[in-house]
Amino acid sequence: MVNAEPEAVDFEPEEDDLMDEDVGDAAASSPNRAGAAANTPRLKSAITGGGSYSAPKKTKGRGFRDEAAAEAERNTRMSARFDSLDSVGGPGPERSIEGWIVLVTGVHEEAQEDDIQNAFGEYGEIKNLHLNLDRRTGFAKGYALIEYEAYEEAQRAINETDGTELLTQAIIVDWAFSRGPFRRRNMRRSPRGHRSRSPRRRF
Amino acid sequence: MAGIEENDEFYLRYYVGHKGKFGHEFLEFEFRPDGKLRYANNSNYKNDTMIRKEVFVTPSVLKECRRIVSDSEIMKEDDNNWPEPDRVGRQELEIVMGNEHISFTTSKIGSLMDVQTSKDPEGLRIFYYLVQDLKCFVFSLISLHFKIKPI
Repeated sequence: MVNAEPEAVDFEPEEDDLMDEDVGDAAASSPNRAGAAANTPRLKSAITGGGSYSAPKKTKGRGFRDEAAAEAERNTRMSARFDSLDSVGGPGPERSIEGWIVLVTGVHEEAQEDDIQNAFGEYGEIKNLHLNLDRRTGFAKGYALIEYEAYEEAQRAINETDGTELLTQAIIVDWAFSRGPFRRRNMRRSPRGHRSRSPRRRF
Repeated sequence: MAGIEENDEFYLRYYVGHKGKFGHEFLEFEFRPDGKLRYANNSNYKNDTMIRKEVFVTPSVLKECRRIVSDSEIMKEDDNNWPEPDRVGRQELEIVMGNEHISFTTSKIGSLMDVQTSKDPEGLRIFYYLVQDLKCFVFSLISLHFKIKPI
C-alpha cells in the first residue's frame, strides 16, 4: 500500500502522472470549462488562481452570505508581505531554520515519544520531536514531526523507514517542507534528472 | 488509501479574531492547493507584534491535513445553528475538499461549556476539536520551520 505512494519516497511526487489525468479531464470537459469558470464564485478563484476547478462545488455555510465584504477584509489582512526563509525555489525539500523536518504519518494512536525516538533516533540525533495529541481523545493524532540537524540524517530516515511498520501500523515518512509549489499544472513531462531521488542539497 | 480523492483540490483557511481597544487582533492560517502554508498572527497587546510567515509544504503534509479534516467529518456539519459572530469575536473556517466548499462562521468558543449550551452541541463540538487539532498541526509546522513561538 505504501509503495503505491511514491511521493512519500521520491521527493518529487508522481505529478507527471497526475498531470496526465488532469490533461485528460480538461480535454473531456472542455466544452463546459468556460461556463464552469464563469460560474465559479470569486472565493474559489482567489484561492486557486482559477482554472483548476472542473465542476462547480456544493457550498454551505454563513461565510458565503456577505462574501464580497469578507473577501475585501481578508485581502487587507493577507495582502502584507509574508516572511519566508530564503529559498532557491524549484523541486526538493526545504531546509528549516535549524535543520530538516521530517513528517511521519500513519502513527499509531497509542504511540509514545519513546517509540518515535527508538525508531528514528538511529539516523541522527532528534533535535526536536512533536508528537501531537488528538484534543478530544488524548491519544496521538496520527503524525509526528521530527527535526534532524543534517540533511543526510533526514534523508536516511526517510529512505529506511518509509513504508515500514511502527506498532503494527504502516507509516509514511517524507519531508515536511518544499522549496516550491508542487502542483505545477503548466509544466509538461519533465526532463530527466528532474525526478532525481536525492535532490541536490541546499546549503 | 491512494484514491482519486487525494488528487482533488484542497484548500483550508481558519481565522479567529476580534476588533477591540488594541485594534484588530487575529490569527489566521491557510493551506493552499499548491502547498503554500500561510500564517498570520496580529496581536497589538503590549508590544505590537505582527507575525506573517509562509512556506511551501509537501504533498504529504497537505494529505495529513486533509486526513484530519476528513476524519472529523466537519464537511457534514452546518453552521446554521451555531452562535453568530459577535463583538467578542469571530471564527471562520473555510474548506474546499472534493466537490464541497464550506465556509462556516461562528463566535469565539471559550470552553466546552459554550459548546454544550449551544443549539447544535454535536456540530459545534466537531468544529471546536477540529480547530484545535488544526492549530496544533500548524503551530508545530511553523514553529519548527521558523523557530518562533507562534502564539
